[in-house]
Amino acid sequence: MSKKVLVVDDDPDVRSFVVTVLEENQYIPLVAQDGVEGLEMIEKEQPDLVILDVLMPRGSGIRLYRKVKTDEELKKIPIIMFTGIALRSFLKSQKALDEFKGGEVPKPDVYLEKPIEPDELALAIKKKIG
Amino acid sequence: MSANKILLVDDEEIIVKLLSMSLRSDGYEIVTANSGEQGLEVFKAEDPDIVVTDIKMPGMDGLELLKRIKEIDSEKEVIIVTGHGDIDSTIAALQLGASDFINKPVRDEALAIALKRAKAKISIREKLEEYTENLESKVREATEEIRQKSNFQRLLIRSSNDAIVAFDHDWKVVVYNPEAAKMFGEAAKDVRNKMKIDDLYTPKIAQIFKKQAKEDKQQNTFPWKENIINTKDGRQIPVRYTSNVLHKKGDFVGTVSFFQDLTDIKRLEKELVQSERLAAVGQTVSGLAHYVKNILIGLKGGSYVVDVGIRNNNTEKLITGWETIKNNIKRVGDLTQDLLTYSKQREPEFELCDPNDVANDVIELVIDTAKSNGVSITKELDPGIGEVVLDPQTIHRSLLNLINNAIDACIEDEDLSKEHEVMIKTYKDKNNMFCFEVKDNGCGMDEDIQKQLFDPMFSSKGGKGTGLGLLVTGKLIEEHKGIIETETSPGDGSTFRIKLPIEKVDNG
Repeated sequence: MSKKVLVVDDDPDVRSFVVTVLEENQYIPLVAQDGVEGLEMIEKEQPDLVILDVLMPRGSGIRLYRKVKTDEELKKIPIIMFTGIALRSFLKSQKALDEFKGGEVPKPDVYLEKPIEPDELALAIKKKIG
Repeated sequence: MSANKILLVDDEEIIVKLLSMSLRSDGYEIVTANSGEQGLEVFKAEDPDIVVTDIKMPGMDGLELLKRIKEIDSEKEVIIVTGHGDIDSTIAALQLGASDFINKPVRDEALAIALKRAKAKISIREKLEEYTENLESKVREATEEIRQKSNFQRLLIRSSNDAIVAFDHDWKVVVYNPEAAKMFGEAAKDVRNKMKIDDLYTPKIAQIFKKQAKEDKQQNTFPWKENIINTKDGRQIPVRYTSNVLHKKGDFVGTVSFFQDLTDIKRLEKELVQSERLAAVGQTVSGLAHYVKNILIGLKGGSYVVDVGIRNNNTEKLITGWETIKNNIKRVGDLTQDLLTYSKQREPEFELCDPNDVANDVIELVIDTAKSNGVSITKELDPGIGEVVLDPQTIHRSLLNLINNAIDACIEDEDLSKEHEVMIKTYKDKNNMFCFEVKDNGCGMDEDIQKQLFDPMFSSKGGKGTGLGLLVTGKLIEEHKGIIETETSPGDGSTFRIKLPIEKVDNG
């Protein structure tokens, strides 16, 4: 059975690109426009993988990541961070958040910087969930 | 100065002795002679202050002695001792300039009074001399001082970096320094005392000065103003100038005006603005790189989707991909436009337009984006504005920027309970400025963001903003001589208000 992959990105261009990559690689694409909608979808659809943008309105990318990674039920879902900002900046912001909120959130399983070749993205997904 | 030395002349030795004793005891210094001849010699040798001489003496008599003494020093006090009733001699002595007379026999009191009178006369004369002498030197000093001062002033006027031109009450040029000659391009010899204000200045400037002279009765200095002078040889010179209307006892006696050539300053200002602009563009590049990368992501993604559409003969994919590509091509276009606008100097292109039409056009452009993000757009466009002369491009670009920012501020707002709304208003304020207002109830801005609003490269939108929007808006509005006002409160939203001067209103 095809696996479900959720794309959370506020940029419709990115969504259509990722959705196309997913379809071409026989995954079932699900989409959400921001972190709030993303969490609803995760809870409802229980996707096998989430491809998540970091920079979204209301800081919702980072928030959704922390939410999923600190939730006992959800933290097993692998997340591919797919973003325009460099990994270093992302980790720095996470570290600041760790210190601020206490506790430690694990680093993302996969961190991809935009832009990316379709094959590269497909490969990263395949590596995670087959 | 006390006149204290007395020459006594009498052929009767005993009288000389007695008078000498008496006068010495009064504190005088006495020299004596027993004849006119001897008296003259002693006079020359001793230079007494006062001479007392008997009139009747053998040989040279008192009158002769008086004459000789007066020849030597016409001012000398000579007291004549006469016999009683000797009127003829007395008259002769008076004619020769005797100062006083004492009758024989000489009484001490009479002599004392005569001497005192003589002394007083000497003292007055001395004071007068002193005073006169002082006066002369004072006048000399003052003249020298005035000469120096006027030299200094002439030098000051000549060497001044300002062009100085003064007119008399008849508007004839009386002062015209070398700098003025340089500025107006007319030689001093052809101007000073020859030209009138209308010969030198263009009618517009001449009118300003005449009007000022008419109105000003207080001899006020006028504040520096800027203007353009058209010289007779056809040059246009930007100047700063001020002038003083001169009055004497309430009557107009002339004006003096000072001009500073601003050509160099204006050029430097222009260069500075230009170089700052270039530097700002340079700074913006790093922010831009991010934005360009995002466009590239869009283009690559879009072309992949199109490829898939072609391969699978999937029209839906073709449309989606093509939309993405077109979107991003538009972004490149907008960015290029912004960069060009910002890096080039642009004069507003004024034309008769209805700003409400422009506002409606812009709203049309953004309404879909707003709707799909749950932001409603409302408008309150004052139909009373009518057609005005403005640069519609300025309004279009600025309004588009502000509304896009307002929508972004709503999208960015964390408070999801709000009905997000962007309100666009147009109106004319009481100063006859055309105003448009873009008000949102989005996330608002904190002080940090507010401070950097018009900085190049600053964007609060991550890679999704170029950091050029408000920069370009600010520049356009500045070129239009308008102003931007901002009100904001974090969590409650922001209002941006642009006020543009209306060139002229078409009443038709």
